[in-house]
Amino acid sequence: MKRYTRPAAAMLLTVIAALVIGACGSSSSSSSSSSAGASSGSSSSSAAKGGTVNFLYGTAPQSLDPGDDYTTQGAEITWVTYTGLTTYAHANGTAGTKLIPGLATALPTISDGGKTYTATLRKGLVFSNGKPVTASDFTYAVERAIKIPWGGSGQFITPVIAGGTAYSTGKAKTISGITANNATGKIVIHLTAPYGPFDNVMAFPAMGLVPAGTPLKNEPNSPPPGVGPFKVTNIVPNVSFDAVPNPYWAKMNIPGIPAAKVTVDAKISSNVSSNALSVLNGSADVFDWADTIPGSLLPQIQSKAQGRYKLVDLGGSTYYIFFNVKSKPFSSQLAREAVVSALNEEAMNRLGAGTLAPACYFLPPDVPGHPTAPCPYGTPGLGNLAKGKALLKQSGMAGQPVTVWSETRAPRQQWMTYYTQLLNQLGFKATQKVIADATYFATTGELKLHPQTGFEDWNQDFPNPVDFYGVLLDGHAILPTNNLNDGEVNDPYLNAQITKLGATPTTQLSSVASKWQALDEYVAKKAYVAPFGYEKFPEFASSRMNFGSLLFNPVYGWDWTSFSLK
Amino acid sequence: MATTSDSGTEFSADLSAGFTDAGQDLPPGTGPWALAWRRMRRNKVALFFGGLFLLIVVLCLLAPVYASDVAHTTPGFGNITGTIKEGGKSVDIVSPTGIPTGPSWQTHYLLGADANGRDTAVRLLYGGRNSLEIGVLATVITMVLSMILGVVAGYFRGLTDGIISRGLDVIWAFPALLLGITLGTVIAVGGIGPLKGNNLFVPAVIIGIVYIPYVAKPARGQVLQLREREYIDAARQQGLSHLRIMFSEILPNLASTIIVFIPLILANAILLEAGLSYLGVGVQPPNPSWGNMISDGLTTFPEAFHNVLVPGIMLVLTVMSINIFGDGLRDALDPRAKVRISH
Repeated sequence: MKRYTRPAAAMLLTVIAALVIGACGSSSSSSSSSSAGASSGSSSSSAAKGGTVNFLYGTAPQSLDPGDDYTTQGAEITWVTYTGLTTYAHANGTAGTKLIPGLATALPTISDGGKTYTATLRKGLVFSNGKPVTASDFTYAVERAIKIPWGGSGQFITPVIAGGTAYSTGKAKTISGITANNATGKIVIHLTAPYGPFDNVMAFPAMGLVPAGTPLKNEPNSPPPGVGPFKVTNIVPNVSFDAVPNPYWAKMNIPGIPAAKVTVDAKISSNVSSNALSVLNGSADVFDWADTIPGSLLPQIQSKAQGRYKLVDLGGSTYYIFFNVKSKPFSSQLAREAVVSALNEEAMNRLGAGTLAPACYFLPPDVPGHPTAPCPYGTPGLGNLAKGKALLKQSGMAGQPVTVWSETRAPRQQWMTYYTQLLNQLGFKATQKVIADATYFATTGELKLHPQTGFEDWNQDFPNPVDFYGVLLDGHAILPTNNLNDGEVNDPYLNAQITKLGATPTTQLSSVASKWQALDEYVAKKAYVAPFGYEKFPEFASSRMNFGSLLFNPVYGWDWTSFSLK
Repeated sequence: MATTSDSGTEFSADLSAGFTDAGQDLPPGTGPWALAWRRMRRNKVALFFGGLFLLIVVLCLLAPVYASDVAHTTPGFGNITGTIKEGGKSVDIVSPTGIPTGPSWQTHYLLGADANGRDTAVRLLYGGRNSLEIGVLATVITMVLSMILGVVAGYFRGLTDGIISRGLDVIWAFPALLLGITLGTVIAVGGIGPLKGNNLFVPAVIIGIVYIPYVAKPARGQVLQLREREYIDAARQQGLSHLRIMFSEILPNLASTIIVFIPLILANAILLEAGLSYLGVGVQPPNPSWGNMISDGLTTFPEAFHNVLVPGIMLVLTVMSINIFGDGLRDALDPRAKVRISH
């Protein structure tokens, strides 16, 4: 670190002023709260036993209502407050991607050539408010996710379940494809066509059961009761909430899903530097895995937080740049190739404080179908600017105006700033459009805006390539709102392959892995997207936490049921 | 400058009063502007800071010269994976963990690099250009629109005054920063007409609008007093049109107010621009401004604190110099006035 050796009164004044301006970015409150347990009614005794863990989010969940939320931040909590008929094993690594029965007695049976899923609800289930759970609550939860609508409903529910579209458009009063018998607990779901990962879909928190009669609208400040190890209380919108142990959970005795050991006091503070320092000095306990620790703090964290900090490669997450292939200049494959060839992944890695593994393929390493072939436009590294310029000249798209869409949070904005510079170096006329984090994906998901290019990332909803392709690059997944196929990629061959391969049941995924590989290589050659890294995520907790017993699920990140204090 | 003897009397009467208040003799045959300049020359502190501001302006205007002939780069060029020589050693411009190099005191990366491997000194000067351009443009917009609105409202009174004043109240009711953020966000996403988020004109227009009531309201108050003066009645009796009266009789008597307000608005406009850019709704990256440079610098703070410190120092020096010079100007033009902008 450089030292400045000219102390003067004016300098001091300006330093103070600059730091005060800088400090304005902090909205954090690192003070710990112990009131959560006491204020949570019947859960106070269990909270008092385990204590309170102070959790810091750098980015707020979209909603605490599972019928609306479709963010990694939200799923961390809704996973353990709204259990579905199926869920994932509470385990580290790939063991954590294993589907286990949740509120169903067993994994669903599949019949009718993959078009019918049958499950039976466990007996004696109650919601976190004590009300008994019935099989028809499942139907209601699905209907609610369609009506709100949940961000993934357009891909995973509405067109997939028979009668989903009719219900969505108001032509039917209920979903005809689901029958639920409250007496026996039997639930039968008919699909419009075979959809291999539907048992994974049933594990989404959005498919977690909520009481019938819950308003058919997003209720972020008073989310409905659910069935899970935690329940949410004391919500201060965009500021904080408490996750307290569900007092009814232990009695239900559901194997494989542990009870909560602590109360989690979750606070939202956009200043991730401050969050990291709070965890480092012990005034908070857990740093959210979806945030990036600033590189400037890494040296001191690595030296002072040994044994409670590590980077984890989940292998299920891709960071990429989308190109709108419907309009100039990225309707030209050569223009897209120019960008992919020139992209300096090492620069992106440095901007990400060294947390990116190099990438050129869309599917991340731990998702079946990740190619092993060499990258089509050169090994990811320093990029080839000269080649990029030549390709762009060949494409005839030099001088075209480009707007790069970006989030505000670091390092995503810095990545897109670099990308904008690169486009200008190549010969485009690029400018940057920075959108607040909270509204970025909703904004780029507005189809009418037709964003040209920008930042996008995807963390697996479930370990199946169709979760990437079916949502992000399938022409059928282009939606007027909540659109995740930002590039409006609509390649008939790609669409047909996604539909065909996507019908393969999860249990038989290995039989089509080579076909997914070939498809991923096809997409890389077409340069429909420009992957620039597979993110490694921080596991970082205070010295109060039992770090060794913490679980990090590859789908949902921190497993809050594993939180415990020394 | 006043164009009629009446209005000239009005202006010099004010200045004379201030001069006499100061306990000094009124030199015979000396015009009001000469008196003001005489008072200004005696205020060495104001002149020093006026000179400092001028120096900052000149430096910022020379940004392209510095970038091309000294630093040999551009404000948008980043070399994240490159190296520079420091003391015979090769140093990463940005380290593998994302920390940019500090000041090198060489022509390349004189004040260090930012997280994107860009030359901080070059961006500082270009950022200053942008901040000053926006400040000046916003000040022009504010002064022109607020004078039109203030004079029209004060001169016509009645319904016209009611409509304009309530409109100004609506703008005034919002905190300036909040209004700026709201407008900036709306324009950043979809734009309004020809205004798009990445145009420097956008923050200038936003800031220009935000400050209109701060000038228009006092101007209206002054016009309400002026329109009752005898020379205005005389002008009416002579059959001069409303427009002529406003331009040739009233506006010249607002000259000292306008001049006093200019530095105040300029300083506040630069500060508000920095605030909006810091929050991401002012100057859009990769265009530099001191505000977004401070915001960017926080991502590598405290290891590379120069990226917060350097634009912060420039911002403080600029605003401080304008304010002190503006105070001196106010004292010189109208020693009795107590013009302040608070929000």
